Amino acid sequence: MFDTNITLQQFLDAIGDTLYMVGMSLLIGTIFGSILGVIIVVTRRDGILSFPIIYTILNIIINIIRSVPFIILMVAIIPLTRSIVGTSIGTNAAIVPLIIFITPFIARLVENSLLEVGPGIVEAAESMGATPFQIIRYFILPEAFGSLILSLATATISLIGATAMAGTVGGGGVGDIAIVYGYQRYDTFAMVSTIIILILFVQLIQSTGNTLARWVRRR
Amino acid sequence: MIELRGIHKVYQKKDTEVHALKGVDLTIEQGDIFGVIGYSGAGKSTLVRLVNYLEQPTEGHVIVDGAYLAEQSPNALRQIKKQIGMIFQHFNLLESKTIYKNVAMPLILAKKSKKEIHARVSELLEFVGLADKAINYPSELSGGQKQRVGIARALATNPKILLCDEATSALDPQTTQSILDLLQRVNKEYGITIMLITHEMSVIQKICNKVAVMEEGKIIEQGSVLDVFGHPKHQTSRNFVQTVVKTDIPRRIKDHLNQQDVHVLTKLEMVGEHATQPILATLMQRFELTVSAVFTNMTEIQDTTLAIWYLDIQGKEADKINALSYLEAQGVRVEEVSI
Ligand SMILES: Nc1ncnc2c1ncn2[C@@H]1O[C@H](COP(=O)(O)OP(=O)(O)OP(=O)(O)O)[C@@H](O)[C@H]1O
Ligand SMILES: [Mg+2]
Repeated sequence: MFDTNITLQQFLDAIGDTLYMVGMSLLIGTIFGSILGVIIVVTRRDGILSFPIIYTILNIIINIIRSVPFIILMVAIIPLTRSIVGTSIGTNAAIVPLIIFITPFIARLVENSLLEVGPGIVEAAESMGATPFQIIRYFILPEAFGSLILSLATATISLIGATAMAGTVGGGGVGDIAIVYGYQRYDTFAMVSTIIILILFVQLIQSTGNTLARWVRRR
Repeated sequence: MIELRGIHKVYQKKDTEVHALKGVDLTIEQGDIFGVIGYSGAGKSTLVRLVNYLEQPTEGHVIVDGAYLAEQSPNALRQIKKQIGMIFQHFNLLESKTIYKNVAMPLILAKKSKKEIHARVSELLEFVGLADKAINYPSELSGGQKQRVGIARALATNPKILLCDEATSALDPQTTQSILDLLQRVNKEYGITIMLITHEMSVIQKICNKVAVMEEGKIIEQGSVLDVFGHPKHQTSRNFVQTVVKTDIPRRIKDHLNQQDVHVLTKLEMVGEHATQPILATLMQRFELTVSAVFTNMTEIQDTTLAIWYLDIQGKEADKINALSYLEAQGVRVEEVSI
């Protein structure tokens, strides 16, 4: 029917690989990124556990990693990747740079979401004699929840883009299909279907994020 | 209950310093509804935030219920804060939580049992008249209702003190009245000492028993509301009093009197039962004077009445002097004013 070199199985495998890479790096990146994000919010100058030195150091580290484009980051940390997973090619090898790429991004997004919670809320919490941990747990995080979900959607979409890039250097996934078949073998069908799949993913994630955020905020 | 001694507060910004409080002394007794009034930037919020140590003084002592706050450990300070409720101009409710959860929050922080929390929250929602809103979210409530939630939340831990920073400034006059009524009930029924910040003299007039007037980081006048309203000493105090008690003779009446060659009037200030005495009749019958009331004003303050009368008194000078000393002996403040 279509003039193409890929089989449906190859295509499904690629989608599976992409989901695996996005899922794993999102999971781990969210854990570290959220912790980092909370730390930079509470340690800032007017934060509830102000500690400007820690804030400044983390801030600089985050900025440094974020200023390296993913494709360069991926290549630059190959030695690290190899020491962790034993190889520098394949889906598992792609996850290492993906985590390093997404963690500071999520930290920034989390920071922004948490800072959206007005100082009045924190003030109310402090007036009740809440501990710093309680302020985060019962006031800031619940109030920022809707915004955090949207941040996570943004992070996931970024990850999908980065994952496709990882595919170009042997990471597998739909990015791999687009390059190996779509670009190198002039397989238009492979190219177009990859793009459609990516568009669908992004649409789905964004609208799920929006719906969840709206539901959480109930406004 | 609350004592501030020699308080200075300096805010350090990168290259500038703001001296927000410049030597404030203040004592608030148990059971008071103590009002603090002043124009924007006078330092009122800074002052009230010292009482629950949201802000620390640069110099001076904050003593709450006998405890010097500066000497407390962070933990002890948190325990003291649970004895001090606070409500805010913009309510500061958790938008993501129901009214029930909002009111329950201080109790959740104090790790009370579900059962205890339920009993207390139900009681509080009943008290503020929002029992039917337990499962609603703050965004579904009006400003007045939100402030009621704020009050219920502030009372959850049975505090001894309630701090109110511009608690009615975002509300319309009618809603303001209902919140003030509620605050008065909080004071009467629970015996909670209230410190209230406002820039509206009418709020002070309605519920406070004591007042401090602030200007540029200093308290320029303080005393019982009746005294300050009756005889404000400082120009700023007078301006505030003017906003609710019209003590000046209107221009039109002045002009009219001047045309009739009247340039001196007698101003009487009476409080409480004096205000209801048959003064005019006494002056006319007993001292055989001709008296006309040119301008009068009666104001309800603190369940009592403050009356200000401007009289044009004609008659023999000796009779007049006798009459005025008689009035003064009765506790009426007498003053000759030229117009
Ligand atoms: N966190 C802060 N940092 C720096 N300056 C501050 C801070 N908070 C208050 N100030 C300054 O201290 C002074 C007193 O402010 P404060 O908020 O106590 O006034 P206020 O009487 O409550 O005024 P308003 O009626 O506008 O609320 C102002 O000059 C203000 O700019
Ligand atoms: Mg203020």
